[in-house]
Amino acid sequence: MLALLWKDLVLEARSRETLPALFVLGVLVLVVFDFSLALRPEDAGRFAGGILWVAIVFASVLALGRTFLIERENSCIEGLLTSPLDRGSIFLAKLAVNTILLLAFEALLLPVFALLFDVSLGANLPGLIAVVVAGTIGIAATGTLFALAALGTRAREMVLPLLVLPLQIPLLIAAVQSTQMVLGGSGLATLGMRGDLLIGFDILAVTAGWMLFEFVLVD
Amino acid sequence: MIDILQRWILRLAPPLVLPLGLASLAAIFFWVPTEKTLGLSQRIFYWHVPAATVCYLAFGIAGLSSIAYLRTRRADWDHAAHAAVSVGMMFATITIGTGSIWAHTAWGAWWTGDSRLTTFLILWLIFASYLLLRIFARDNEMAPRYAAVLAIVGTVNIPLVIMATRLFRTIHPQVINNPQGGIDDPRMVYALLVSFAVYLALVLWLWALKLAQLRIAGRLELLEGDRNAA
Repeated sequence: MLALLWKDLVLEARSRETLPALFVLGVLVLVVFDFSLALRPEDAGRFAGGILWVAIVFASVLALGRTFLIERENSCIEGLLTSPLDRGSIFLAKLAVNTILLLAFEALLLPVFALLFDVSLGANLPGLIAVVVAGTIGIAATGTLFALAALGTRAREMVLPLLVLPLQIPLLIAAVQSTQMVLGGSGLATLGMRGDLLIGFDILAVTAGWMLFEFVLVD
Repeated sequence: MIDILQRWILRLAPPLVLPLGLASLAAIFFWVPTEKTLGLSQRIFYWHVPAATVCYLAFGIAGLSSIAYLRTRRADWDHAAHAAVSVGMMFATITIGTGSIWAHTAWGAWWTGDSRLTTFLILWLIFASYLLLRIFARDNEMAPRYAAVLAIVGTVNIPLVIMATRLFRTIHPQVINNPQGGIDDPRMVYALLVSFAVYLALVLWLWALKLAQLRIAGRLELLEGDRNAA
């Protein structure tokens, strides 16, 4: 399992394809919001959380759709399936790769976000990181589970967001509201149901993926 | 098992729907007293609430049938889930439609960012993506499995959707199980029960019909496959 995780990370590090693309897309989304809403500084605080998550969701759809693309070339997926790895572990490895990739993207995006929307990260940074990590795991888990299903359809890339976005809505609601609160200076302990929802969704999505992944693979 | 269920529903439900439906309409328009605060518009309640309830029922059936399909790999369960989502989507649309009409007269707006309204919209979107997946993956033999996984995750997700939308404020009334809900006349309760019966019979009937159609379509595909092979 670690070998699979390592292989994918090395592939990304060598090719340097996905991360720059994600970063540019994320910045584009932020910039489009910046000039289309023409926010005054005092309003920026009210919308910044939502805008950040729109950028993350857009980029995640691109990144997650590629999960099994590299395995498809040269039918690597068949090699993967004949390996003595159980199906749940393949899911966990792919989930880890996607999460790491998205977190790297977010680490690059956050400074730009802070700059454009005049958000002071400083003291709120640990809380913000916790919320972003929790949200990212849920997004990556749902995306990883359905990436293969989307590839199996005629419309390919178009289908993945249609499948996962509705499922991710509860997570996104909690993430946006939590981000808003954390940026406003509230501590993680005050998030209440939002925090429960973030963690609950993560647990549910990872468990569901781990248990159901074998069914989306050809046997 | 599904065979027998389908046959019984198709025998029992159709004769019930028309008389019960007429009784329900008659009760709503001529018999129940007009509610004090909302006036006439409250009468849409008798069809709005049953539609929402059977919609949850249909999505529940879809989730359970999908689990059964992944365990047994019998096409019948897949058809049962597919039929339940199709029918559930119809009733979700009716719920949103009647709710929106009612909201327009009672609240003065067709739509608000209210928690229950948002819940239903999200459910509608989740199961709309199920039907889209079935269309896009039609020529893939893995399609039933993808769809089953989506239906299971979608159903498990319902409590989280409800939890998340509670974060919004609500003006949607809580009527059932609430002493101050406004149901203060026994005639209102009877009218609601009759409407529930109509919707239950209707949802089962439509489900069985759609199920029968999907099973015939599946058999036809097998036959064509055989003929092409021969």
